[in-house]
Amino acid sequence: MIKLKDPFGGIILNVAFRALVPFTIVYGIYVLCLGEFSPGGGFQAGALLSVGVLLARLILGSDAKFNIAGQTSIVMAGLGTFLYAFTGWLTLFGGADYFLDYNYMPVHLEPAHEMHALAIFMIEIGVAICVMMTIINLLDSIVKMGDDDGRTE
Amino acid sequence: MQIYLVEAAFLVILILITCAVIFCKDILSASIIYSAFSFCAVLLYLMMGSPDVAFTEAVIGTISTIFFVASLKKIDRWCE
Repeated sequence: MIKLKDPFGGIILNVAFRALVPFTIVYGIYVLCLGEFSPGGGFQAGALLSVGVLLARLILGSDAKFNIAGQTSIVMAGLGTFLYAFTGWLTLFGGADYFLDYNYMPVHLEPAHEMHALAIFMIEIGVAICVMMTIINLLDSIVKMGDDDGRTE
Repeated sequence: MQIYLVEAAFLVILILITCAVIFCKDILSASIIYSAFSFCAVLLYLMMGSPDVAFTEAVIGTISTIFFVASLKKIDRWCE
C-alpha cells in the first residue's frame, strides 16, 4: 500500500473527521439521487464521496481502515466508465438508432420519462464512481511521487 | 442596484486575494488563501444565478486545497 509518512493526525482532527465524514457521504448520495431536480449530479456526488477517503488518508495515514488502496481505484474507475457505456449498449440492443437513446431501454415503464429517469440514474452512478476513484488515484500519484525529501526513486 | 454593488465588492476582493496569493512567500498560506478565492468565486456564481457551477466550484476548491496540502509534505514550505 502507498504510505503517507507521519500523517497530519492529532485528537482534534481525528474527532472532526469522525463527525464530518458520515454527513459528507450521506450528502453525496443525496446529491446523486436528486441531481435531476436540484443542482448537482454525478460529478459533484463523486467528488463529495471521495472527500471521506481523502481525509482518512491524510489524517490517519497509511493504517487507515476507511481506505481504498492503490490498484483498486483504477479498476473501479474503469468499472464506472463501463457502467456508462453499458447503459448506451443496452439502448442499442433494445433497438435504438443512436447511442443513449433513452426511449429504447429494455425495461418498459409506462410513462416514457420514467425510463429516461432510470437510464440517466444509471449513467450518473457510473460517472460518480469514475470521478470518485479518479480523485483517490490522483492523491495516490501525488503521495507516491517521491520520498520525504522530494526525490523520486 | 445594491446587488451590483455587492457583486463589484466581491470582484475587488477576488482581485485582492489573487494578488495576495501571488506575492505570498509561504506556500501553505498561499494555498489556504486560494481556498478563500474559491469561496468568493462560489458567492459570485450564486449571484449570477448558476447554483450548479457554484456547487462544483465549492467541492473542487475543497479537494484542490487537500491536494495542495498533501503535496506540501514533499516540498519546502517557504519559496525563498
